[in-house]
Amino acid sequence: MAENEERLRRTMMFVPGNNPAMVKDAGIYGADSIMFDLEDSVSLSEKDAARVLVYEALQTQDYGNAELVVRVNGQDTEFYANDVKAMVKAGIDVIRLPKAESPEMVQQLEADILAAEKEFGREEGSTHLMAAIESAKGVLNAPQIAAASDRMIGIALSAEDYTTDMKTHRYPDGAELEFARNMVLHAARAAGVAAFDTVFTNMDDTEGFYRETEYIHQLGFDGKSLVNPRQIEMVNKVYEPTEKEILNAKNVINAIEEARLKGSGVISMNGQMVDRPVVLRAQRVMRLAKASNLVDEEGNYIEK
Amino acid sequence: MDNQIVDLYLSNPKVKKDWQDFLTSLNITNFSANEVDQIDYTIGIYNGDDLVATGSVAGNVLKYIGVCNKGVTTGSRFNAIVSELVNRQFANHVYHLFVFTKLKYSDSFQHIGFSELVHSDEAAFLETGSPDVHDFLAEIPRVDNQDDKQVAGIVMNANPFTLGHRYLVERAAKQNDLVYVFVVNTDASLFSTAERFQLVKDGTADLDNVIVVNGGDYMVSYVTFPAYFLASPDHAVTYQTTLDARIFRNVIAPALNIKVRYVGSEPLSRTTNIYNEVLTRELPPAVEVKVIDRHQTLTGDQQVITATQVRQFIKNGETSSLTAFVPETTARFIQNHLTTLQKRIQEGMNIDGN
Amino acid sequence: MEIKETAVAGTLESSDIQIMISKATDGIQIDLQSDVEKQFGDQIRQVITTTLNHLGINAAKVKAVDKGALDCVIKARTIAAAQRASQTTNQPAWEVL
Repeated sequence: MAENEERLRRTMMFVPGNNPAMVKDAGIYGADSIMFDLEDSVSLSEKDAARVLVYEALQTQDYGNAELVVRVNGQDTEFYANDVKAMVKAGIDVIRLPKAESPEMVQQLEADILAAEKEFGREEGSTHLMAAIESAKGVLNAPQIAAASDRMIGIALSAEDYTTDMKTHRYPDGAELEFARNMVLHAARAAGVAAFDTVFTNMDDTEGFYRETEYIHQLGFDGKSLVNPRQIEMVNKVYEPTEKEILNAKNVINAIEEARLKGSGVISMNGQMVDRPVVLRAQRVMRLAKASNLVDEEGNYIEK
Repeated sequence: MDNQIVDLYLSNPKVKKDWQDFLTSLNITNFSANEVDQIDYTIGIYNGDDLVATGSVAGNVLKYIGVCNKGVTTGSRFNAIVSELVNRQFANHVYHLFVFTKLKYSDSFQHIGFSELVHSDEAAFLETGSPDVHDFLAEIPRVDNQDDKQVAGIVMNANPFTLGHRYLVERAAKQNDLVYVFVVNTDASLFSTAERFQLVKDGTADLDNVIVVNGGDYMVSYVTFPAYFLASPDHAVTYQTTLDARIFRNVIAPALNIKVRYVGSEPLSRTTNIYNEVLTRELPPAVEVKVIDRHQTLTGDQQVITATQVRQFIKNGETSSLTAFVPETTARFIQNHLTTLQKRIQEGMNIDGN
Repeated sequence: MEIKETAVAGTLESSDIQIMISKATDGIQIDLQSDVEKQFGDQIRQVITTTLNHLGINAAKVKAVDKGALDCVIKARTIAAAQRASQTTNQPAWEVL
């Protein structure tokens, strides 16, 4: 697991790496993570140009607090090595490996990142990584992949290639993804990293998008990959905590504070000990509530 | 994603029908085999199942550009399509591109880096990339004080260079200080461009005030005037030759101070005859047109000298008949390359056109 | 970096700039077309020239069609075009990026 302080990763917005208009504006929509794509959205003849464009944009553009991710080309391509080097030099937060099928692939990426960090004088270990699971093999190896590196921040299911590998395609009810979603989610949770659900591409089907987002929220995914900025608000809405969840979380936070003031190592509430998962959940709810502007500075619920 | 560009395979009848229907809905309706068969590839943008933009390339010419702007920012699909075509051509090392378009779309192309070479009431002809017309003109040799000289121009295919061509050049050379002979650049004739160019040079070497220049893409090329090379209806010939004539009048002639253009009278070729008529209509008063009567053989029967007849001799191996029709330089070349030339004819090279 | 062939990078789409680089004998000549030529023409030329100089290119013919590109985009497209023109696409000029 790459970092102790968990951050919100509700929305990871895909930005085609060779499109200056989208690369330039990527920061204005409030996505938790921005994923610049050098892979599938860039044609073979433009791989070099996209790499330089994303690099230069990262030097100059303000993307606020968003976590910045780059999807590099696959390890079996001639573009991979230079993609990784350029993005490490650019100081990217996270490098996303496509078509991950084994922990060895992740370790290879880690070694390549480390070499680039040394070459360009970047702090060793500062570049994180994530893996996209896009095949049957990847799904079955997801637990090992998720735990393959200390730099790992999360794994993502990529349904387009996965369903092709499974000799099916995507259906509105998502039954074809059920196993993969649960595998990826369990692998992520067991390894203590984030789990990202796949994209939903039919922009005209708002109802379908909400249905799918509510479903993956229910399963426990951290968030969803997105192809259109309009989807950000919709995901955030699904991830908004309820008033009751916020009040409970606030109570837990108060209990922690009280224990701190008393100098007590044990946090208790309503006469019961509050253990770690409950604390973590409360902190996460408060982060969500803040991000959704549902609480004030002190963490008190704002009546609508 | 928006503006996702896909390849359209017109060999697929369903795709071709959609493509044709879409263009027809935009009032682009010329799908004659002459035009469509030249297409190298076609791209498009779909919105759902509907084709909403398309463009094609034939050689160094963009063709069949059609865009529907419904529901998107005007110009975004157009820019995406043209951009993709231009970039693909550049990636194929074709750095100089042309487009013929309706006059009303000229601005749209100019907005994305094309320069208008010329327009008529209905059509415009534009180019982009490098080397452009300025580079072409810059490379043409000049003489001292050219602006004070009487300068003439002749455009010829010279397939091959005959005594008729020679007569035309001689007349011009006598009446002017300087004569430019522009040799058609398109390789679609029995004699290759390099061969034709060399034969014109050799056949005019004794004339000190003649400069032989490759006509590039700007004079009777496959780009500007395809009807010269492919049988085409009269209106197409008129449309193309009007643009060709205006390029000469507005761009070529002023840069080189050409004040008169010489053409041979054309009793035998319909296409060239229309071309001469259009030149006579378009060039004056900026450029005077001098029509010189066809030269005839000095033999007793006084045949009209045409390159068509010379090619017939080559086909039939009648090399002894050549001397009355071509200068010694051309005759020698034909003698030395007779089998090669005959082989080209056997392999299907059309020798009845231009 | 030596220019070996004509090359182009960038598109004609909004916020982009298309840059074509070819050989020249001396100096960097820039033929720029831009809707904001009046306000930003000099700045755009400056970014292109500086970027080329950093790449060790002091003579080139540049044709640029600007569609409202930011400086970082101009720089990126100039680098990409120059690397293509010098056939060094696979060996990025790390020190210049």
